[in-house]
Amino acid sequence: MRLRTDDDIYRARLVYLGPPGYTLPVHLPYAQYGLFMLLVPLYMFVHWLFTLQVELFPAWEIALAIVTTSFVFRYVDPDRPARMVIHTALTDWRRTREPAAEQRDPRLVGSRIRIREELA
Amino acid sequence: MSSHYAPGSPAGQSAATQGDAAQSVGYAAELEEAHHDPTRATSPGHGGVGVFQAPRPLQQRTPTDPSPTAGTDIDSPFLDLFGATRPARSTPSRVATREQQPTIPQQLGAGDPPAASTAPAAPPAPAAPAEVERSPAGSPRRSTRVPHQIGERLAPTETGAAPLPAETGAATPPVETGAADPPPADTTPRRHPGERSDPDSRDAPPSNRRSTGRRDRTTKPARVRPPKIKFKDRDPSVELAITEIAGHLTFTPNTVTAWYWLPEVRWAFRPDAEREALLAAISEQYAGLAGFRLHLRRTTRPFPADEWARTIDTHTRAPLPDVPGTPSWADHLVAAQRHLHSVNHAEGQTYLGVTFARRSLGDSLVERVRRSFGRGVAEGERRKLGRTVEQFDEVLGAFGMRGRRVTTPELEWLLYRSVALCMAPPGRLSPVTDGHWERGDLLALTEQVERYRTPYGSTVKLVNRMTGEEGHVAVLAVGRMEPLEIPERHEPWLHFHERLPWPMELSSRVDILGSGDSFRNLEHRLRMIRSQQLDYAEHGIDAPPELERLAERALVIGDEMTTGLPVESARAHGWHRLAVGGRTREECLERARRLIQLYSRELRVSLQHPKNQDWLAREFIPGEPIANTGYVRRMPVNLFAAALPQAASTVGDRRGDLIGRTAGTCRRPVFLDLHFPMEVRERSGLGVFVAEPGGGKSTLLGALGYLAARRGVQVTLLDPSGPLARLCAMPELAPYARVLNLTGSEPGTLAPYSLIPTPLRSEFSTGDAGDREFEIAVSNARAERRMLVQDICMMLVPPQVAREASTATLFRHAVRQVPAEETATLDDVVATLGKLDDDAGRELANLLLDTAEMPLAMLFFGRPPAGLLGPDATLTVITMAGLRLPDLKIEREYWSAEEALALPMLHTAHRLAVRRCYGGSMSSRKLVGLDEAHFMEGWRSGRSFLVRLARDSRKWNLAALVASQNPKDILGLDVQNLVSTVFVGRIAEDEEIASEALRLLRVPVNDGYEATLASLSAADSSSAARLGYREFVMRDVDGRVQKVRVDVSYVDGLLDHLDTTPAAIAAAAGVLPVVADLEA
Repeated sequence: MRLRTDDDIYRARLVYLGPPGYTLPVHLPYAQYGLFMLLVPLYMFVHWLFTLQVELFPAWEIALAIVTTSFVFRYVDPDRPARMVIHTALTDWRRTREPAAEQRDPRLVGSRIRIREELA
Repeated sequence: MSSHYAPGSPAGQSAATQGDAAQSVGYAAELEEAHHDPTRATSPGHGGVGVFQAPRPLQQRTPTDPSPTAGTDIDSPFLDLFGATRPARSTPSRVATREQQPTIPQQLGAGDPPAASTAPAAPPAPAAPAEVERSPAGSPRRSTRVPHQIGERLAPTETGAAPLPAETGAATPPVETGAADPPPADTTPRRHPGERSDPDSRDAPPSNRRSTGRRDRTTKPARVRPPKIKFKDRDPSVELAITEIAGHLTFTPNTVTAWYWLPEVRWAFRPDAEREALLAAISEQYAGLAGFRLHLRRTTRPFPADEWARTIDTHTRAPLPDVPGTPSWADHLVAAQRHLHSVNHAEGQTYLGVTFARRSLGDSLVERVRRSFGRGVAEGERRKLGRTVEQFDEVLGAFGMRGRRVTTPELEWLLYRSVALCMAPPGRLSPVTDGHWERGDLLALTEQVERYRTPYGSTVKLVNRMTGEEGHVAVLAVGRMEPLEIPERHEPWLHFHERLPWPMELSSRVDILGSGDSFRNLEHRLRMIRSQQLDYAEHGIDAPPELERLAERALVIGDEMTTGLPVESARAHGWHRLAVGGRTREECLERARRLIQLYSRELRVSLQHPKNQDWLAREFIPGEPIANTGYVRRMPVNLFAAALPQAASTVGDRRGDLIGRTAGTCRRPVFLDLHFPMEVRERSGLGVFVAEPGGGKSTLLGALGYLAARRGVQVTLLDPSGPLARLCAMPELAPYARVLNLTGSEPGTLAPYSLIPTPLRSEFSTGDAGDREFEIAVSNARAERRMLVQDICMMLVPPQVAREASTATLFRHAVRQVPAEETATLDDVVATLGKLDDDAGRELANLLLDTAEMPLAMLFFGRPPAGLLGPDATLTVITMAGLRLPDLKIEREYWSAEEALALPMLHTAHRLAVRRCYGGSMSSRKLVGLDEAHFMEGWRSGRSFLVRLARDSRKWNLAALVASQNPKDILGLDVQNLVSTVFVGRIAEDEEIASEALRLLRVPVNDGYEATLASLSAADSSSAARLGYREFVMRDVDGRVQKVRVDVSYVDGLLDHLDTTPAAIAAAAGVLPVVADLEA
């Protein structure tokens, strides 16, 4: 039996070409625009935390968001969605070099689980 | 890429280094590693070695024994069970035995029905007490064997007579069942894991004493402060998501999962049709679970070597008495267990969890409240779930997966193994059968496992606080997969990892989508693709061609879904992970690299090694969340079914001697008890060995003979060429072995009439039916004698004469006149021929007399010397040193006189070897090994011999091993249906012979398996060293076929004695005695 996955269908590259009538010079995946649009307000909020004022044209924020987005999407491929890349970056971030002393993670303890031999 | 095929995938491809025999390029190195890796994975310290005590004389314990024993301060009758032996236990008790070696080894338990040995604690055979009296040499020895030996266990219960006072000390109380044998060497009371802090508490008194002493000296007591332990982490421990295990269900706050145990299924050497049927059945079962989330989990359990050793010891009623200075029976078993440990055999265990219910907020709140009262999940909820869960029993229990509900200990085991991923399993679970874990013990052990990670690290470090063991785990995710042809060319893709010699863990989290869901999912995707195409068109840009291709594929799949069966439309979307462990980070990463390489090369599956390892490792624990959304694989359930992690390749029984391991798709130890077919399966005990010269037949025959002899089986080996005679020189066998060289024997040794025993009336049941059977058997024996004598006469006369029609008639005539009793001789036939009123008859008589002048032919004439082959020696090797065996391909006319004589000699020698087995008791275990059996073909007496051997094997508990170079001989004899065990070695020269051999194995012919036979024991052409092992394809009595690698290296010196290569013989000549010295 020849068996194959359906993954290639989900691997199709869906890009935003631009608004109708105008084709953008670069074609980026939709997800990239989405992430960018999430990041700009986030950076604006961070900015606001420091300065307590909102700028009319958030130039720095846009620039940072572009950099961050492209940085994230360097690691994105059909098997590694942006969500996973960001999640990994956030949960695994502490240091990139191997430290001298390892970080101890919480032990996972199952001793409080109740056991009964029969269901009912 | 395409040049590599998975093993066991015939596909008709040339596979000199492929196929079932095939090893990946790095395989040899992997093997090496397996041998040099005694500690890993199936784990250091796990699975203790069961030590057996040598047979030793009873230590006379009288009630007034004044010798103080350890621990006598507690006054309990049970402490006395192993009482007096206690102080001696630390020292090997062998010393005591040696003075009392019985000089003549007896096969004990001769009167016991062999079937009794199948049930370890079966009620005693009535003959047992009588037998004790009968064999005075054996009885003291028997009664002093370790208490779990069958003899002692039984004696007191059924005889009714008061047991000897001396025996009561050694006997186990009759209440004990076989399954709960105490470990023989371990008399200390069992300790619970909870008691592990004992040493500390025991240390306390001395320290107190010290401190009191100090107090005496210094008047002011210094205040001792305990060192302050600081944890930097805010919360060093996190509860698992699972809150309760009830029966086979696990509860987390939000979900309920039902767990099933998937038994192993056979994969290798099955016809493709069968495999496809299996996969189809499993896919249907998965499709039946549409809408649920599954957790498929595979973990391993180290092979319980000591459990096996205890089994074999139980089934060995009278092992060969020990010879001073050589490894004893106990040492022999210990060596085998060590070997088992060192080769890292792990047994897979596959669990399937079906998450089937979401719990309401109320339910989990109720549980939380009840927990504080120590109650747990409400009964109403459990009862409700109990009804729902029955549907899964039905779906999963059918042909295919044949799943059964797991038990709570199994779930605990799974949880522990998942928390301590790839680490050594807790010791003393399997080793002591009665030392099973109490409920909750294993889960408590999870507290001891600490987890460390490095940021963006590639491994997780786990440390077991209790044992100090450190392990590193790398979790790999299954990435892109190319199309697989599963039964034909590729292995099941989650079984494939078992080729590597270290155990791994698997976890698949899968959502099964039914037809509706998967179609909706697909349609959505199709719309997105179409819209993208539209976009391109609107913008006037050429759309990438892949979009159209993918859209078309989506359409085809969508069509399949809407019009096909539910099985075709169901989809499994999920995450598949493999965990690889190692003692160090480097080792772990190296193993991960090898695994990735193996998968990409042979299966074209790319395994990815993502970051976020600690979350991935956590995903293996049932109930824990999915680590991340990456590497989701979307596949039809067929492909998911073809992952088949529960595939396995076991062969052999689990109660015989260790003869090697399987060498196909995974490595499992192979045990073979040649009496298992007769005693348990009630089949014939005929075993057939087929291989080209040099394929290792003789060595295997010798090894099996040795192992059986060690277990006290009466072994007779016929080895015409003679190298097996050196077996008798092995120090542990030497006193109990003898060599019979036929070429130097007395006349009459091979007298054909006496080779066929007359049945005894006692062998048949009483009554009329028995009488009739007996009469039939007696006349059958007579007919067989006549047939044999005619054949021998035909072989003795020149072929030109034999071909004449009158010769056969005259012989028949003469043989008819001689009474076909055991006492008749060939001389009677000659005399009868001479008296015939016929010239031709007289001529034939003269011809026979002519041959009789040759020294070897003298063996056929006259009466056999008395006591030639008594049942005394445990191992008898019959050789025909110096005999020149003819080439059967050459016409008989061209054989020299000596070669011509070899034919009748071999025929009669085969019969002589078997004749010995009819001497003793019917039920005692006997083994006869016959080499060069292909000379039996072409003669009707040869066929009748084998058929009779196969038929008698059950009645006489006789394991008969027949080795031949060509399977056609056996097939031509048409005894295939009677064959229970088959070993086929390397057959590379002749395709036809290979297909015959496959037929013998009952493996599909012309399916590409011929290449597998050719690649057995394939030598590495780049190395100049000799191949250290031999491979066979073995079929056991249950019809399981598997490639095995015979490895008896654990027996010290056995291979040196079995080496049949000329160089080795020459080298050994100085050290090992030559055959002539060995002859008794």
